[in-house]
Amino acid sequence: MPLRPARVGRVGVIRAPVAKTAVVAKAVTPGPAPIAKTAVVAAAVTPGRRRRRI
Amino acid sequence: MSDAALDGLGPVDYVVVEFPPGSSNFTGEMAAELIALVDSGTIRLIDVLVLTKADDGSVEAMELSDVGELGELRALETELAELLAAEDVAHLAAAMDPGTTAGVLVWENVWAAPLASAVRRSGGQLIADGRIPIQAIIASIEADEATATEGE
Repeated sequence: MPLRPARVGRVGVIRAPVAKTAVVAKAVTPGPAPIAKTAVVAAAVTPGRRRRRI
Repeated sequence: MSDAALDGLGPVDYVVVEFPPGSSNFTGEMAAELIALVDSGTIRLIDVLVLTKADDGSVEAMELSDVGELGELRALETELAELLAAEDVAHLAAAMDPGTTAGVLVWENVWAAPLASAVRRSGGQLIADGRIPIQAIIASIEADEATATEGE
């Protein structure tokens, strides 16, 4: 079905072709230990867990 | 839109979510989560398009209202601002594989608007933003672990 007429002839807001990002679902879905991997990622974004002094 | 209204506008994001052939499992869960985000005032849904890319690479775009039974999404559909233009379709579909269907969501991060306004009033200006992919976090953790192992 066609898009609504209001969308036609307007200047778009997506300025360039969109590149495909890595498929996020695959990073946290089943592998040998999906729960463990999810927990590790969660720990990485928990306050103070990985911060080091430079 | 007035300057005052613009000043109160939160950052606007979009995602393109692809559904490879045979992998879609529409139970209404996605719609429920989307409605919950809108109802809680976390986001304001600005636009939705459904794109299909044929095996020959041709793309068809549909309005949300053209997609069968909308259920509870109907209330959201009537509030859409239809920000996307027809010329955006090809750019958005560039990320899709042939033979897939994708949903495009555009939303305002209402939760961020007060902070963004405060930043502007304080003289700050946004010079960069972005998203850190989960894969990058995993890679960083794994590199840390490898370094730690080498140091043992």
